[in-house]
Amino acid sequence: MRQSEMLSPNLPGSAMGLAFRVGVEMVAGVAVGTGIGYALDYWLGTGPWLMIVFFFLGAAGGMMNVYRAAMGQGMAVGYRKPADDAEDGRRDETEREG
Amino acid sequence: MASPVEQFKLKPLVPIEIGGVDLSFTNSALFMALAVAAVAVFLIQSMRGRHLVPNRWQSMAELSYEFIANMVRENVGSDGRPYFPFIFALFMFILLGNLLGMVPYSYTFTSQIIVTFALAITVFIGVTLVAIVRHGVHFLTFFFPAGAPIYMAPLLIPIEILSYLSRPVSLSVRLFANMMAGHTMMKVFGGFVVALGVFGVAPMVVLVALTGFEILVAVLQAYVFTILTCIYLRDALHLHH
Repeated sequence: MRQSEMLSPNLPGSAMGLAFRVGVEMVAGVAVGTGIGYALDYWLGTGPWLMIVFFFLGAAGGMMNVYRAAMGQGMAVGYRKPADDAEDGRRDETEREG
Repeated sequence: MASPVEQFKLKPLVPIEIGGVDLSFTNSALFMALAVAAVAVFLIQSMRGRHLVPNRWQSMAELSYEFIANMVRENVGSDGRPYFPFIFALFMFILLGNLLGMVPYSYTFTSQIIVTFALAITVFIGVTLVAIVRHGVHFLTFFFPAGAPIYMAPLLIPIEILSYLSRPVSLSVRLFANMMAGHTMMKVFGGFVVALGVFGVAPMVVLVALTGFEILVAVLQAYVFTILTCIYLRDALHLHH
């Protein structure tokens, strides 16, 4: 028996695992963006502007991570195309079902 | 009555101070040491027999080994094999930390953000170094999705970099928040049981269910942390090219 079949999203554990992953991802993006913007503002003395810009960039980054996780693309940054994953695409399948 | 968050308090057991830096051996450090010792004793003791037909302990040790070995094989691929010892150690350490925290009067070191963040940043830096060593400058193409028009680059590259940098944060916050929230909730319900007297039976029932749920979360969060490490490692090794 393969492990991934044991841990398919039909099991409550794995679907919950995906949910936990996705929930935090969004907040983390915003937090990191705002934090970097704030630090750059503090360093460059550019008022609130960089923080505002990086807040939105961070939010977009967080949403991108959520989208990737939900579409079963793992957490790949700069994801290319699904065909690349053909040989190890099992996980992608199991995640897409969830 | 004790506050529900008092359980997370660090208590120095052996005060050590070197050069003005507080390096005390705390209850958190004690339970980290206990977790490492428990993993070592579990694996060494149960594999001592080397039975062809494994007994209970040996099959538990083999099961945990195969669980991570399969996880690495399926999520990273065959070239992830050199990293198996690290991933296995990471999984066992977090799992034992979470489970030891379920023992009454013990301390859950994974409920400290600095501990989970240290683990996550180690994974993050390690994975980034693997990507840079393997792909060199090519690593930078990681931050620009193929097929996107070039004039989108000023917008897409910062977004991709931020999404990359948010990895250690989300990895550590997920584990820490789950463990802390769960343990606080158990303590709150425990307080209800005492405060309500005879009617404390109702929160007691909830508490029993909650304890089972917390054990599930303890195992699940160790699993999530490990599988995300595998996914990050796969990204670093393959870069989707």
